[in-house]
Amino acid sequence: MKIVEIALLACLVATLWRLLRGPTPWDRLLAYNAASNRVVALLAVVAIVANQSMLLDVTVVYVALSFLGIIVLARSMERTGGTR
Amino acid sequence: MTSTVLALIGAAFVAIGTVGILRFRDIYSRLQASGVADTFGTSLILLGLIVRDGWQSRDAALLLLLAFLVLTGPIVTHSIAKSAFTRGYRGEEDR
Repeated sequence: MKIVEIALLACLVATLWRLLRGPTPWDRLLAYNAASNRVVALLAVVAIVANQSMLLDVTVVYVALSFLGIIVLARSMERTGGTR
Repeated sequence: MTSTVLALIGAAFVAIGTVGILRFRDIYSRLQASGVADTFGTSLILLGLIVRDGWQSRDAALLLLLAFLVLTGPIVTHSIAKSAFTRGYRGEEDR
């Protein structure tokens, strides 16, 4: 399980590079979505391994909020093009 | 044992998706890599956590998480692709 945590952390850092670099605003949105996916998986693994059920509730709220945020950002960038 | 193997396979899928996000050419190829590989890899990791240590009450939260991720992954991917396409971004030419 430690290998899984390290791999997910490395993937998270690599995804953040696309978030910083991404040529178009949609690349950044995609990287944000992928990064939040990795954070969710990492939080779930840590919650189970460390036996902290509270972290699972945090994860459920996090996944709902990131879904809402990404949908709202995508809809708003459909109108503004992500420049404003 | 089963749980660790499932989580390792899931982490491998997430790593493949990360390579796709970093290396692919334009936003639509990256969406393909991210959407498909991430949903499957994260689902496998959560499935591995669910089958760990038999059935417990915390597994209900993991199942909820799994259902939510499987439902919302394609919606998010479609939403980003539609947003980019509506704004007239057509991707890179083949080289």
